[in-house]
Amino acid sequence: MSGSIERAKRGLIAEWRLHALSVVSLAVAFVCLGAALLVVVNLHELKERWGRTGRASVYLRDDAPPAQVEAIVAALKVIPEVKSVRYLSPADARAVVFGQGGGDPTLRNIPQEAFPASIEIDVAPEVGEAEVQAIVGKLAALPAVEGVETYGTWTARLGSVLQGGTLAALALATIVFGAVLAVVGSTMRLALTRRRAEVEVLRLVGASSSFVKTPYVLEGTFQGAIGATAAVAVLALLFFLVKTRLDADLAGLLGLDPTFLPPLVVLGMIVTGAVLGAMGGALGLRRLTAV
Amino acid sequence: MAGSSARAPLQPFLRAGSRDPLRGGEAAAKKPVLVFDGVQKVYHQPSGSDLHVLRGVDLAIERGEFVFVTGPSGAGKSTMLKLVYRAETVDDGRILFCGRDVARLTDDSIPFLRRNLGIVFQDFKVVPTWTVAENVAIALEVLGLSARLIRQRVAMAIERVGLAGRGGDRAGVLSGGEQQRVAIARAIVGEPALVLADEPTGNLDPALALDILGLFEEIHAQGTTVMFATHDRTLLDVRPRRILVLDEGRVTDVAAGLEHFGDDFVDEEDDASAPRAIVAPTRLRRVS
Repeated sequence: MSGSIERAKRGLIAEWRLHALSVVSLAVAFVCLGAALLVVVNLHELKERWGRTGRASVYLRDDAPPAQVEAIVAALKVIPEVKSVRYLSPADARAVVFGQGGGDPTLRNIPQEAFPASIEIDVAPEVGEAEVQAIVGKLAALPAVEGVETYGTWTARLGSVLQGGTLAALALATIVFGAVLAVVGSTMRLALTRRRAEVEVLRLVGASSSFVKTPYVLEGTFQGAIGATAAVAVLALLFFLVKTRLDADLAGLLGLDPTFLPPLVVLGMIVTGAVLGAMGGALGLRRLTAV
Repeated sequence: MAGSSARAPLQPFLRAGSRDPLRGGEAAAKKPVLVFDGVQKVYHQPSGSDLHVLRGVDLAIERGEFVFVTGPSGAGKSTMLKLVYRAETVDDGRILFCGRDVARLTDDSIPFLRRNLGIVFQDFKVVPTWTVAENVAIALEVLGLSARLIRQRVAMAIERVGLAGRGGDRAGVLSGGEQQRVAIARAIVGEPALVLADEPTGNLDPALALDILGLFEEIHAQGTTVMFATHDRTLLDVRPRRILVLDEGRVTDVAAGLEHFGDDFVDEEDDASAPRAIVAPTRLRRVS
C-alpha cells in the first residue's frame, strides 16, 4: 500500500494543475451542499428551540370568578413542568401592548375592555411539544378559561419549512454526488490518458490490475477529501464573517444564535468526499482492463 | 554456459501453490526455457483476407542461449515476441515458457508470466517523468520486495548498464542510448528467465547500436537467456550466434551467421564500398 500511496503522491504532483482544477470543482459542489446543510441544521435548531419554548397565554372569561382564577394560578405553580406563572389583568395587558407598540397614540385609544385578563405560563425548556399540548388541553377545559394560545402553529409551520429544506438538501446532495463522480471520473480518465506510457510500462513489468489501478483510486480519494475539506474551510470562513457582522440582528430575529455545522456533519462531508472520490476514480478506470 | 549459471526467477509465473518449473532441480534446468510447438498466428484484415504471420513455427531455446530473430519488416518478429509475453495469443499450437503453456494462462496469471520476462523495446518505453531509479525499481515494486532490497538491486542494475550515479536523473532528459540502457536495467533487475528484445537498437545510431548489443552480450555472459529481434544485419555479423530467420510465416534456424543461410536476404542499402565497421544498420528485404 505504501508503494501505491507513493505513486499516487507522484501522480498528484506530476499532474497538479489537473488535480487542482478538479479539487476546486469539487469544493464548489461541496460548498453548495454544505450551505444547504447549514440552513437545514439551523432550521432544525430553530424548530427545536421554538418547540421547546413552551409559552402559553391562557385567556380568561370576563366573568371568571377571582377565586377560580387564583385556584388555577395556584394549581399551575405546583406543576413541575411549569417554570413561571403570571396573571395579567386587562390593564396590565393594555400596558404591555402599549409598551411594545413604542407609545403609538392609536394604541392608547383602544379601550381597556378590549384586553382580556390572562395567565401567562412559561414551561421549562426541556419540556417537549406533546407535554405542553397536554397541559394546554386541560386548561382549555376549565370553565373560567375562554381559550389558550401557544406557539404550536408556528412550530408546525417551521416544521414544514424544515421538511422542504431537508428535501431540497437531499436533492442538492444527489446532484453534488453525481457531479463529484463525474468530475473525479473525468479527471482520472484524463490522467490515465496522459500517463498512458506509465500504465503500459506497469503492464509490461507484470503489475497486477490492482497494482495499476490503486494509485488512481487513491488520487480520487485524496481529491474528494481535499475538495470537501476546502469546502468546509470556505464555508466556515464565510459563516463566521457573516455571523460576526450580523450576530445581534440574527439572534434577535431568530431567537437563537446561528451555529456552524456540527463536527460529525463536517466529518461526514469529508468522508463522503473521500468515498465519492474513490468511486469516481474507480469508475474512470472501468476501461482499463486490457492486459 | 547454458543452464549452469542461469539464475532462478524471483517468483513463479503461476499462482501461489503451483509448481515452479525452474525450481525442479537439474532435470528442469536442462529443459528448454522456451518452446514454440506448431505455433500459428493469423491476423484477420478489414479487407476480409487473412494474413498468416506464423505458419506452424517449431523451435526451442535452451537456457542461457543468445538467439537473434531476424527477417524482413512485417515478417512477424515482433508478433513472435508478443506471443511470448501474451500481448497476443496464438491461433494454434503451443508456446511453452519454462514448461508452461503461455496461451492457456488466464488474464490474472499474465502479470506472473511477465515478472519472469525482461522486455526491451525499440521505443524504450521508459516513463519520462520518473527518475532512472524509479523506472528500474518498478520491476521490483510489482514483486512486493522491501524498499531496502529494491534500492540495492536497482543500484546494481544501473551500474551494470553503465549509468552509475545517474539514478536520480529524470529519464526524459537522457539521450536515446541512455534511455535504452534504463530499459535494459529494468528488464534485467528482476533476474528474469528470459530477456526479449524487440528491435532494441532500431532508434539508435550504429555506434550506439553496437554499444547496446555489447550490453546484451554482457548480460548474456552472466547467464541470462536472450531473444533479440532485429533487422539490422550488421549486428548479426558482430559475433556468430544462433539466428532464427522469419520469412513468410516460417522460421529457418541458422547455426551462426547469415552468410551460412544463403542469398535469400540482401541489404536494401548495402554499400559494398563502405567499410564494414561503419556500415549503417540496414534493412533486410526478401528477394523474390
